[in-house]
Amino acid sequence: MSGNPGRIVDGLKSLLGRDRVVDDEAVVRLYSREPSGLESQALAVVFPETVRDVSRLARYAYSRDLKLYPQGSSTSLSGSSVPLEEGVVVSFERMNQVSEVSVVDSIAVVGPGVRIDELNLMLAEKGYMFPVDPASAAVATVGGAINSGAGGMRSAKYGTMRDWVLGLQLVLPDEHGTVLRVGCRTLKCRQGYDLVRLIVGSEGTLAMVTEAILRITPLPEQVVVALAFYPELRNVAEAVVAVKEQSVQPYLMEFMDRKTVEAAAKAMNIPVETPGHMLLVGVDVNREATGRFVEWLGKTLRATGAVKLHVADTLREAEDKGFFTLRRSLFPAQIKLAREAAGSRRVLVYIEDIAVPPSRLVDAVEGLRSLEDKYGLPTMIGGHVGDGNLHPAVGFDPHNEDQARRVEEWFEEVMELALKLGGTISSEHGIGTLKRSGLRREFEHLGSAKALELMRGLKRLFDPKGILNPGKVV
Amino acid sequence: MDVKLILSLLAENVERTGYPVPVDVERIYSWAKPLNLPRGGRAVLYTGALYQLAPYINSLVRHLESLEGRRAGGLALRLAKTLGKIIDLGKVVAKADPGEIKAVEEVLRSIARLLSAAGVEYGYLYEDDMYSGVILYDMGLDEAFARHAKMVAETLEKSGASLIITVDPHTTHVLRSVFPEYVDGFGLEVKNYLEILSENIDSLKPRRGEAGYRVVIHDPCFYARHEGIVEEPRQLLRFAGLEVEEPPRSGKMTYCCGGPVEAVSPSLSRRIAETRLRELQGVGGRIVTMCPICYVNLRRVGGKVEDIALHLSRRLL
Amino acid sequence: MAAWGRSRLLEEAGKCAYCGFCEAVCPTLPYGRHRGYGPRGRVLLTAHLARGGKASPEVLSSIYTCLTCAACTLKCPAGIDIPALVRAARSLLVAVHEKTII
Repeated sequence: MSGNPGRIVDGLKSLLGRDRVVDDEAVVRLYSREPSGLESQALAVVFPETVRDVSRLARYAYSRDLKLYPQGSSTSLSGSSVPLEEGVVVSFERMNQVSEVSVVDSIAVVGPGVRIDELNLMLAEKGYMFPVDPASAAVATVGGAINSGAGGMRSAKYGTMRDWVLGLQLVLPDEHGTVLRVGCRTLKCRQGYDLVRLIVGSEGTLAMVTEAILRITPLPEQVVVALAFYPELRNVAEAVVAVKEQSVQPYLMEFMDRKTVEAAAKAMNIPVETPGHMLLVGVDVNREATGRFVEWLGKTLRATGAVKLHVADTLREAEDKGFFTLRRSLFPAQIKLAREAAGSRRVLVYIEDIAVPPSRLVDAVEGLRSLEDKYGLPTMIGGHVGDGNLHPAVGFDPHNEDQARRVEEWFEEVMELALKLGGTISSEHGIGTLKRSGLRREFEHLGSAKALELMRGLKRLFDPKGILNPGKVV
Repeated sequence: MDVKLILSLLAENVERTGYPVPVDVERIYSWAKPLNLPRGGRAVLYTGALYQLAPYINSLVRHLESLEGRRAGGLALRLAKTLGKIIDLGKVVAKADPGEIKAVEEVLRSIARLLSAAGVEYGYLYEDDMYSGVILYDMGLDEAFARHAKMVAETLEKSGASLIITVDPHTTHVLRSVFPEYVDGFGLEVKNYLEILSENIDSLKPRRGEAGYRVVIHDPCFYARHEGIVEEPRQLLRFAGLEVEEPPRSGKMTYCCGGPVEAVSPSLSRRIAETRLRELQGVGGRIVTMCPICYVNLRRVGGKVEDIALHLSRRLL
Repeated sequence: MAAWGRSRLLEEAGKCAYCGFCEAVCPTLPYGRHRGYGPRGRVLLTAHLARGGKASPEVLSSIYTCLTCAACTLKCPAGIDIPALVRAARSLLVAVHEKTII
């Protein structure tokens, strides 16, 4: 980078205007950290408001070798939103316009700073939704979700971000700050190589997203929900099989193992009559079919050994009856338990993100429990069983060297376990900095180390000077 | 630290006059004159002067707003020289909206009459109806607040009452949940008038034969989240024959009117109030407030709002 | 409650996992210049002040524009009482500038 920090900040202020640059040290620090616990200190945060701002910024950065770190709402768990070297955070929070919603075309055209829940509130008025629902949807932005390739509870049915982005406006980190439009406003689109899907999940390392054409879908008419507890893990697996074999693709299918249910119930004071492995199943139905599906769901889950079963006709009823309380308590319970274990000091909760084919669920959970014993790390296991995505989590005190080392080794073995079961090391949180070695391992496992080389080549092609979110992914 | 100016202004005023903005003390209790309420008693009505002060606070905020310019988020009073203008509070006070003053006094009289109609025996404090000091607490002026709270507590205790009836969310919260932390041995029971009306609802009678109308309820943060007062106003409005509508954000998840930052950043406060007003207007129905700060803040952005006590008194007295 | 001192303040602020769930319900954040106008920012900035960090104009704006409306607290998975933190920070600032304020 050429020029001292003060000069850079002044340059940015005259480029974009004073109100679009913040260099207050304490405020900049707020944009230099994420829930993964990683933190650093950028030089400044810039807040572009238009694509022109972003383009001028890219040109400026290119000419001065200034590193840019694009950012949504910093809810990343992989390190992808934290600046590694001296540089400037590009926050898209002011580019938060929903410029078009078309039910006929089934699209929404939105700025990268729009929060997913905000978009959904707007769509719900028209009976539509954007179905990708990461746990952080209340705060996560569309731009961040695109770049992290986010998924969520409904992914078994609706897929992840890569299935819902039709087109993108991009700014390249080149000498012109080139503005590009890739993809289409239509669902069908054969535009040569699929650059849209290349950008989805690229974690801000290839280009900056300044607008997205998203696909939207009607809200389900009704969702019946069942909450079941099982004595044995294999019962849960059988239930998943039974549901799928009857040609039903659930709207959501959430899982917490018995130990996790007990720990969460205890930590958050949630009454659970007969604790066991928890399975939460939602099936979207036509209103007239409600009775039939309620009966079918109850019968199916009971037949596979559910000892305790509750069924609700609607999502609203399930909410009111507290079906989601346990599932939602997972994160706060993790924080609470970690703090209790580490004393009152600052703790980190590390949330893993592997996926295994749903048919390997039992092996995965048993494998994770034996790793828990091996490393002496109390583990909470929850996940989206419909798509095999598990989020084993451990809390630890980062200042405790012994704990930190055990977590690191545990982390490697968890990824190893996923690969062994035919799964993947990252389902929806991304690679960032924390899983770069895991990505290499995964390709090696697949005998495809060359894929990484191709990725590095792509990175050079898009970002010849390596100024855009450097040090991430590849 | 520009905000120091506002803080020192508030602290000085409270310490010197007992109120955050200068106001004729008689104006604090003159609303009660037509009611001939007894002085003191086992239960006393304590307004904490917030309703009475609201029009003056509003006038001050309008003044600050004109100084601040319209940039959202900027702290008011960037320049020391503006302090001189603000200290000329006499002018600010003189500019308070007479209609607003009349309206808040009518709210207080309605509350008093409702309590009587519900069979509650209580007295009033008159010139001992002091400001609670809540702004000092909010702004972290802890020592000034502790001194002021002690004075208020002594006055209340001297009145001989064992039950204090409060009428607005901020005073209710500060007296019930904050005073015990700041004043040694503060043991007076504090109840809000909506809670008391709700307990004595059987003694009230809705007027017969009058058609009800739709109201949209705006929960004050300090009732809904800090003091757990959510059901009482709904129960009372329904009992009065009104159709109660909820805005998208209501009850425990209510959305603030923006009032608490009105002095520090009038423009930020305005934008939040505008957002909330649009939301309330979108529901359709007459907008009900229960807090003098919400009342003036939503009015400042053009809202047609009315206090719950007025709705209830029209239907129940 | 009586405002918390530095160590209590740091302990409470230290519970923040930086998940941001609080931000969606904050009335001031959408109209503020940056994340400091939301609860996640305010929690971290109170800790910054408690550690003796500089009370810059941006930090002050963050701390004094909080409505203490407590919507955030209901969304916080770590159960942090954010209004209490903010008042503690204000009280700390008053203490630091005591002579000039009162």
